[in-house]
Amino acid sequence: MRLPAPATARRGMLVALLLLWELVPRTGLLPELFLPALSSTLAVLWQDRQIYSAALLVTLYEVALAMLIACGGGIAAGAVVGGIARLRELLLPVFSSLYAVPIVILYPVFTAWFGVGPESKIAFAGIYAFFPVMLSTAAGIRTIDPQFILAARSMGATLTQQVTRVIIPASLPTVFAGLRLGGALAIIGVVVSEMLTAAAGIGYLVTLNRTILDSPRVFAALLMILILSVAYYMLARAFESRMVVWQSAGRSPKAAQNESAGVPVSVAV
Amino acid sequence: MQHVAHLDETAIEVANLSHIYAGAQGTVPALEEISMRVGSGRFTVIVGPSGCGKTSLLMMLAGLRAQSQGTILCHGRPISDPDPKRVGVIFQEASLYPWLSALDNIEFPLSLRGARERETRQQRRARAEAMLRLVGLEGFGERFPYELSGGMKQRVSIARGLVQDPPVLLMDEPFAALDEQTRMTMGHELLRIWSTMLKTVVFITHSLTEAVYLADEVLVMSARPGRIIDRIAVNLPRPRTYEMMATDVFGQLRDRIWQQIRKTP
Ligand SMILES: Nc1ncnc2c1ncn2[C@@H]1O[C@H](COP(=O)(O)OP(=O)(O)OP(=O)(O)O)[C@@H](O)[C@H]1O
Ligand SMILES: [Mg+2]
Repeated sequence: MRLPAPATARRGMLVALLLLWELVPRTGLLPELFLPALSSTLAVLWQDRQIYSAALLVTLYEVALAMLIACGGGIAAGAVVGGIARLRELLLPVFSSLYAVPIVILYPVFTAWFGVGPESKIAFAGIYAFFPVMLSTAAGIRTIDPQFILAARSMGATLTQQVTRVIIPASLPTVFAGLRLGGALAIIGVVVSEMLTAAAGIGYLVTLNRTILDSPRVFAALLMILILSVAYYMLARAFESRMVVWQSAGRSPKAAQNESAGVPVSVAV
Repeated sequence: MQHVAHLDETAIEVANLSHIYAGAQGTVPALEEISMRVGSGRFTVIVGPSGCGKTSLLMMLAGLRAQSQGTILCHGRPISDPDPKRVGVIFQEASLYPWLSALDNIEFPLSLRGARERETRQQRRARAEAMLRLVGLEGFGERFPYELSGGMKQRVSIARGLVQDPPVLLMDEPFAALDEQTRMTMGHELLRIWSTMLKTVVFITHSLTEAVYLADEVLVMSARPGRIIDRIAVNLPRPRTYEMMATDVFGQLRDRIWQQIRKTP
């Protein structure tokens, strides 16, 4: 017997999970207060669709701006730090050690500075996501094979051409990986800060409904956050593999093709 | 366009070249009093122990690194900056750009000066395609480097080095990363291309067989600081054949090079 293809297996796992979500509370294995059934969660989501979509818009707006700050600033700062040896030696150890600090401890300070509105969430999530983008951009530029630049010079590339035609394309894979992580962290940053102090957004709905023990509404909000993060991840992945074909395909072109076409690998031979 | 080779004409002239690297732990004398003359259209091979400065010398010939002392003339003019119209360079690791297709890689040097020279995109493409054909990779132009074997990648590198039609080609251990069979084929291919284009080639290798098989003249360098300790003319007839490798003359030439290298500490 043949094992199912990974893609099929993943889909199966998802279906099983959703089934469990429905069946476990229904059969009374867990009380509905701990885990409301999928159907009741979806029912309140539909019932309160206006509230939830309004909250989603607020969250999306905050996430978009936070990503803009993190990605724009992170790429610019990463390029400067990664490209200039002096700066790199000076700053990279500092940034790398800051990486481990739970930046969420700064959130109260941000609310003091920017208030409890969207600004404090944007600022916090922006900073939170900034570091991975910057560090991976710096790493991407630093780890470019010097042979690439040497070859370009031997072919008469000017300094500008070396940057635009070699350094930028060569660092794209690492930069994209950073953007993917940065975007995910921006979502986390926004949701967490909404859960802490806010008057709007999906994170706020989680906190609000939790305090009144309205489990289905808490889970409805969680479900939306889950879908938002997964959708972002898949979007980023698709964009990435389109932009840097040579990177993702380089490892195993056959497998990548088969997977995208939905053909089980073992049929190919 | 083809460069007609006049064997009495000098392509590269190096006089009293020395180089000292200034490192963090003091200075490293890498090259000492190198003088050499490479005739136009000649195939010159440089051999020498690892770390003796072969790559450094090649970088200087390419204008990629400045020497501490001495002069280098390429077709009568000093080479202070990389000049792809005079000198093409092919490196050991096929330094192809992984984000470009084979054809785009070959076209890369042309595209760098596309705006400055009145050459249309189609003309550039046609030149790149002609090079692809020359190295025997017709039909592989749309492939990316990761879809090519090591030997094919080096063919693309050679095409890229030749696309601007420079009279001088510098090659730094271009086949070192290849397996022995591919290496032999590539050497043979290189000679075929060279014989149709009559380029001046300076070729670095660690393989003595490859050196004798390819060269008109072999320059042997000493261990660091690198000096030229012997010049060996290889008067085997051309075109070279694999059978020649089994001849006594071939073996004697290879032994002589080995004796020279072995002498150096
Ligand atoms: N940029 C540099 N700075 C300092 N020292 C260098 C530099 N490049 C090379 N060297 C030193 O100069 C010497 C010659 O190096 P080079 O790479 O030219 O040798 P090579 O003959 O090409 O060696 P191999 O056969 O291993 O390729 C070595 O001892 C090396 O350590
Ligand atoms: Mg070398």
